[in-house]
Amino acid sequence: MADMRAKMSELYSLEQLSSQKSSIHALHPLSKIIATLTYIICVVSLDGYSFSQLAPFVFYPVIVIALADIPYSMIWRRALVALPFCAFAGLSNVIFVRETAFYIGSLPVSFGAISFFTIIFRTLLCVSAVLILVAVTPFAQLTAQLRRMHVPQMLISVFEMTYRYIGTLVNEAYSMSTAYKLRAGDKKGVQMKDMGSFAGQLLLRSFDRAERVYAAMKCRGYAMRDALLKPLPLKKNDYIFTAAVCLSCVLFRAVDVQQMLTDVLGRMM
Amino acid sequence: MHMADALLSPIVGGAMCAVSAGALAYSAAKIKKDELCEKKLPIMAISGAFVFAAQMINFTIPGTGSSGHIGGGILLAAMLGGFPALLTISAVLIIQCLFFADGGLLALCCNIFNMGVIPCLFIYPLIFKPLTKKGFNAKNISLAAVIGVVVALQLGAFGVVLETLASGITQLPFGAFLLAMQPIHLAIGVVEGIVTAAVLCFVYKMRPEILNSTRSRTAISSGVNMRKIIVSLAVITVLVGGGLSLFASAYPDGLEWSMEKVAGTTELEASGEVHETAEKAQEATAFMPDYDFKDANGSGTSVAGIVGVCITFALAGGAGLIISKLKKKNKS
Repeated sequence: MADMRAKMSELYSLEQLSSQKSSIHALHPLSKIIATLTYIICVVSLDGYSFSQLAPFVFYPVIVIALADIPYSMIWRRALVALPFCAFAGLSNVIFVRETAFYIGSLPVSFGAISFFTIIFRTLLCVSAVLILVAVTPFAQLTAQLRRMHVPQMLISVFEMTYRYIGTLVNEAYSMSTAYKLRAGDKKGVQMKDMGSFAGQLLLRSFDRAERVYAAMKCRGYAMRDALLKPLPLKKNDYIFTAAVCLSCVLFRAVDVQQMLTDVLGRMM
Repeated sequence: MHMADALLSPIVGGAMCAVSAGALAYSAAKIKKDELCEKKLPIMAISGAFVFAAQMINFTIPGTGSSGHIGGGILLAAMLGGFPALLTISAVLIIQCLFFADGGLLALCCNIFNMGVIPCLFIYPLIFKPLTKKGFNAKNISLAAVIGVVVALQLGAFGVVLETLASGITQLPFGAFLLAMQPIHLAIGVVEGIVTAAVLCFVYKMRPEILNSTRSRTAISSGVNMRKIIVSLAVITVLVGGGLSLFASAYPDGLEWSMEKVAGTTELEASGEVHETAEKAQEATAFMPDYDFKDANGSGTSVAGIVGVCITFALAGGAGLIISKLKKKNKS
């Protein structure tokens, strides 16, 4: 159960990072959202064998992580969540696609192996792009931007409030499961026969609490539409950042820069 | 069951985005019409947070010693109604995607469809509600919950299989992938169904009005809307999927390319003059040259390729390192 709290601190640790100050944090949330989406679309639109063409895409996460002071461990730990399923899908390619692509010395490398590494690499790139976006954009700014982009009001409100309630609820669940554990002897986890009343109790208690919290929020002037939502004009830096990221992504996607480097090296060797 | 970006093609992602965004917008509009919508907001949010927290409580499955956790679509739909449940589960999926890298950003809409739209807009009105039509009691809540969750998970898993294979990144044969996904999700579904049933029974015993009010409110209008939803979702899918693939077929990758590949193209083994000419023509016409290792005939080029990739990584790493160093220097 200790992992419950660990998971919660993991949830809010990204938000802590997003309140730091850096040139990337200062950018307009819209430009960061556009850059992230362009990046991901360019990465996934390459086919499953383009390991080398994907290579230049590594510049974006590395540079932004350095500029924004995000610890690498943060990205790695979360990437591990996405990896198993991707690795499973990638391994199947190793098994099913066995044509040899090339030899390293006398070691044959199959197309399947290339695609395996490509899938793992794609996973890392996409995961880091999303995490970077959240780590450099404060939560309130992110939701305000989504509102400006006319995402349904109700969805954003539920998203915001769910995010906030998780902390409260996990604490509640944590104390309940500690209480359960203390009475349950050396049993691991909650017994299935108790799960209904355990989870149900947690839910009903939270319902009442949520209503009280919401009433308190309303008393303090919360409305579903953010009253303070003002248009946030884009600055010069925002345009430069968006243009730089988008253009380089499209360039790396359209022109195989890596292949050019390979050709040059091939001629030299 | 969360799909990742890495296994998805933009065409499939885009088509699913259109479908899920349509379903979300429709649900949001539907809820807005409900005058109790504001009152529902905290309940929706707390239910979302509950699903999240409940996923962290491991419970032991009797006899096996292994542990499972709670899913959520049907549970939420039974308590909140289909449309609010869809928004709630979407919020949970967005949080999982953004803060835990569980499911990708482009794949988010696939996940919303597989785990939200299917249980909330299809299984709930078509299976759960008819089964509890005669009123609630422990027996029919349990039956409806177990069947609903199992069917929803099976369809969801099937959705994952279809979306992944249509993207063509993995070469898993359809049959093998299906065999890997469906039985696992059957087992998960039974366990999750039992837990969902237990929670719903408890809620019904303590606060019957929660389940009753949801059912009576959504019962009035659902029959007509279902058809509308299904038809419009289908139209959106076809339009966007078709539009995107028209655009994509201008260059030979993505869906079309992978289909060709699965069908067993000789492209991989092709070599010699014809292949080179064909490839040159392809490079000239294509938006981008196709995958790179294909023309690696000698080991010289492949070694050059590997060295090249290493150089790129080293350059990127160096750039990162220099920026970090400069930043630290500026700070101190």
